[in-house]
Amino acid sequence: MTSSPFSRRTLLGGAALGGLAVGTGTLTGLDSAAASLQGALPRHVDVVVVGGGISGLVAARRVARQGRRVLLVEARHRVGGRVLNHRLREGATIESGGAFIGPTQTHIAALARELGVPTFKEYNTGNSVYISSTTGRMEYAGTVPPDPTILPDAARLLQEIDSYAAEIPVDAPWTHPRAAEWDQMTLGEYIRRNAVNADGVENLIRCWTQPGFGADPSELSFLYVLWYVACSGNEKNLGTFSRNSDTENGAQERRFVGGSQLIPLRLAEQLGDIVALAAPVHRIEQKDHHAVVHTGRGTVTAKRVIVAAPPPLVLDIDWFPKLPARRFELLRHLDMGQLMKCDAVYERPFWREAGLNGFGISDSGAVRAAFDNSPAPGDPGVLLAFVGGSTWRRYGVQTRAKRRRAVLEGFAAMFGEQALHPVDYVEHDWTHEVWTRGGPVANYAPGTMVQLGSAIRRPFGRVHWAGTETSTYWTGYMDGAVRSGQRAAVEVLERL
Amino acid sequence: MKRLLAALAAVVLLAPAPAGAAPAREKWDTRVFAHVQAPGYPAYVFSHRNGRVYAGTYTDPQGDRRRSRVFEWSRGGALLRSWTVPGQDLSQDRGVQVANADARGRLVLLEKSTATVRTLDVRTGRFRTWATLPDLPTCAPGTTGPDCSPNAVDYPAIPNYATWGPGGALYVSDYGQAVIWKLPRGSVQPRVWFASAQLDGSEFGTAGLVYRPGRRDLLITQQSTATDGSVPTDGKLYRLPIRRSGRPGPLSTLWTSSPGDLPDGFGIARSGHVYVANAGLSNQLVELGADGHEIARFPAVPGTGENGSAIPFDTPSSATFLGTRVLVANQSFFGDTSHHAVLDVAVRERARAPYLPSNAFWR
Repeated sequence: MTSSPFSRRTLLGGAALGGLAVGTGTLTGLDSAAASLQGALPRHVDVVVVGGGISGLVAARRVARQGRRVLLVEARHRVGGRVLNHRLREGATIESGGAFIGPTQTHIAALARELGVPTFKEYNTGNSVYISSTTGRMEYAGTVPPDPTILPDAARLLQEIDSYAAEIPVDAPWTHPRAAEWDQMTLGEYIRRNAVNADGVENLIRCWTQPGFGADPSELSFLYVLWYVACSGNEKNLGTFSRNSDTENGAQERRFVGGSQLIPLRLAEQLGDIVALAAPVHRIEQKDHHAVVHTGRGTVTAKRVIVAAPPPLVLDIDWFPKLPARRFELLRHLDMGQLMKCDAVYERPFWREAGLNGFGISDSGAVRAAFDNSPAPGDPGVLLAFVGGSTWRRYGVQTRAKRRRAVLEGFAAMFGEQALHPVDYVEHDWTHEVWTRGGPVANYAPGTMVQLGSAIRRPFGRVHWAGTETSTYWTGYMDGAVRSGQRAAVEVLERL
Repeated sequence: MKRLLAALAAVVLLAPAPAGAAPAREKWDTRVFAHVQAPGYPAYVFSHRNGRVYAGTYTDPQGDRRRSRVFEWSRGGALLRSWTVPGQDLSQDRGVQVANADARGRLVLLEKSTATVRTLDVRTGRFRTWATLPDLPTCAPGTTGPDCSPNAVDYPAIPNYATWGPGGALYVSDYGQAVIWKLPRGSVQPRVWFASAQLDGSEFGTAGLVYRPGRRDLLITQQSTATDGSVPTDGKLYRLPIRRSGRPGPLSTLWTSSPGDLPDGFGIARSGHVYVANAGLSNQLVELGADGHEIARFPAVPGTGENGSAIPFDTPSSATFLGTRVLVANQSFFGDTSHHAVLDVAVRERARAPYLPSNAFWR
C-alpha cells in the first residue's frame, strides 16, 4: 500500500476544497462596508480593479503600493469572492468557500503570514471510511480504499496522469504535442478507454472531481485535468495528483485560524477607501487614451483596468468595443462548476472518539466526500460534505429538508447514528451566488483549451485579466488568485 | 502636491511590515529558482533592470517539436508571463536566448533557426526582428577574411550571446562561425568585427561575451579550440580589447579550462571575479580572478553536478548575477526534463553593473 502513487484521501475531495466556503451566517469584518469607500466614486484614477476577491485585492494593493491611484469596485456588499466565512451559532467560524492551503502554495501562505492569519493542520488522525455499494462499509488506514476491484486500475491510471502532467507546460498546455488528442476527450473517456473496471474507477474519481471541479469526469477535458494536476505545484516542484488531492502533504493539509476570509478582509482593511462595495460593473468602454468603467455607483475613468471576476460574469459586462472573438468564445466555454457545501455541527467531534478522522468517501448518495471541518480547537465538531457535479444536480435541487436528511444519512453511514442528530446544519450553494454562479472554478469543456486557451491572459487594449483561472499554478485555488493578481499588477504597472 | 502627498500616504499605509532578515546563505548554497517549462533546455538567464528575470527555451537535441518560448519570473522565482516566439523556421533547430535588454527596456533575443537579432517588448508582447546574421563561406586556408568564417567546417550562423559596447554598438558571439559580429548603434546591418581561428571550436564554439567598460575589452568564453595548437578539448576565457578606433586589439588567453569543461556563459562580480558555467563533463561553476587565475570550483568534485539542491548541475550553461547570487541555466542537454531549471547559487558578492549606454536601442 505504501508504494501506491496516492496517499490517504487521494481520491477524495480535494481540490475544491481549495476554494469555497459557504455560509448563510454572519459575516465578519468588512461586510458592513465600514472600512470601504462611502459616497461618490472618484472620477479619475490610474487603475480600476473589477472584483474584490483575493486576486483583485492583491492586484489593487500592489498597484497602490507604487503610488498609483486605484479604485477597486466590487458588486457584492462584501469582499472575498469565492472565499467566505460563516459564523456558527456556537460562536466558532468555518468556511463556506475556499478553505484549505497546502505545500507549494507559497504565495497565499506568505500573504497570510504577512496579514497575521495563522494556519492549523486539518485533523487527520485515525481511520478513514469507505462505503461501496458492492462491498459495504469499511474503515481503512493508509492510502486508498482497499477495494480490490478498483485499486489496480486506479493506481495505474493515476501514475499515468502524473507522468503526462509532468510534460504539460503550465503556462501553455495547448502547446503540448498531444494537446489536441487529449483535449478532444474527457477524463471519463480516458478512464473508459484505459481501465478494466471503468465504471468503478470513474465512480471513485468522481469523489475527486465533484468537490474539486464541481463536475463529473465526463464533463472535463482530459487536457484540462492534466493541466490542473500540473498546476498543483510551483516553480520548484512538479504538480502531482496526490499533491492536489491529499490532506497530508497535499492541498488540504491546513486551514486558517478564524477562517480564510480573514485574508481578503484584512487586505480590504489595508486598502480602506480604495475599495468600493455594491458597485457592480455593467459597461466598460475603451477610448483612445483611457477606459471608462460604468458601475452601479457611478462612472470612473482610468488608464488601465484589471478585471478579476469569474469568467462567466465578464460576459455580462457591456463591452465597447466588443470583446475579441477568441476571448468571447473562450468565456462562453468556461463553465463554473456546480457545488455546494453542507456542514453538520455537533457538540463535539464524536467520530474522533471512535478512532475516525472524519474523512470518508462513498460511491453513492449525497455525501461522496466528507471532511472533518471542525474549527481548530475541535469544538464544536463539524462534518462537511461537498455536493458537486451530478450529485449536486440530484440533491441540489431538492428541498433543504430532503437534502439535509440525505446528507445526515450519508454522514451516519460513515460515522454512526450520532451523525443524524446535529445541533446545527448549514449549507451554501454557490450556484445561487449571482456574482459567482458556481464553484469552485470555471472549467474547460472538451475542445476548448487547444482552440481558445491562449486567450486566457491576453490583454484586451487597456484591460488586463486576473482571477484564479488565469494563474499558471494552483489555478482554482487561493494561491492561484494571489499569483494572478500579482501578475496583472505587473502588467499594468509597466504600462502606466 | 496634493496628489503626491496622497500617493506617499498610500505607499506608507500600504507598505508591508519589515520582515526579519533572512539568514545569510553560505557561499555556493544552491537552490532551485524555477523549473523551466517545455520546450525547456534553457541556455541563458537574463536579469533585467526592471527587477524581473527572463529566459528562453533552446534546442532539443532530439528534435524540436514546438516553438520556443520566453518566460518571465519575479526575482523570487514566481512565473509571471510567457510568450511564444513567432517567425521561427520550423524546419531547422530552433531556440531563443534572452541575451540582453536595450535602453528602452526591450528584451534582446537571439533566435537560432533564423539567425536573427530581435527584440521583445514585454509591455506589449511585440516581437521585432532587427538583423539577420549571414551564413558566411569558409575562409580560404590560412586566411581570416574578410567576410568569411575561419571555421574549418562550414556551419551556419548561430547567435549565442550579446553585449552592448562603446557607442551603443551590439556585439554578438557566433557559436558556429568563429566570428564576433558587430551591429553599430541602431544599425540592422551586422558586420564581421573580429574573426579568428582561435574561435573555431568545431562543434563547440564561441559562447559568453561581456564588455568591461573599465578595461575597454570583451571577455569571451570559447568552449573548445580546434585549431590554435592547444589541446582541442580545452576551453578558454579570452580577452579582446576594443581599440579607440573601434577595431579589435590582440586576442589573449586569460584562462584555459580543464579538458571537456566546455565553458559557457559567465557573470562578472564587482570584485572582477568571473563566474563561469562549465557545460561539459565537469558540470561545475568555476570562479576566476580578474586576471584569469582559477580560485574555486563548485562542486569541488567534477562530474555529478551534485550541488545540494534538488536538481544537480546538468549542463549548466550560464551564470547571471542577481543580487549576491548567480542564476544558472541548467540546460540538461541529454534530456532529463526534470532538470530543466534555473538554479540559484549564492556567491556572496555583487555583480558589476551590466554596460547599457543610453543610446543602445533600435528605432
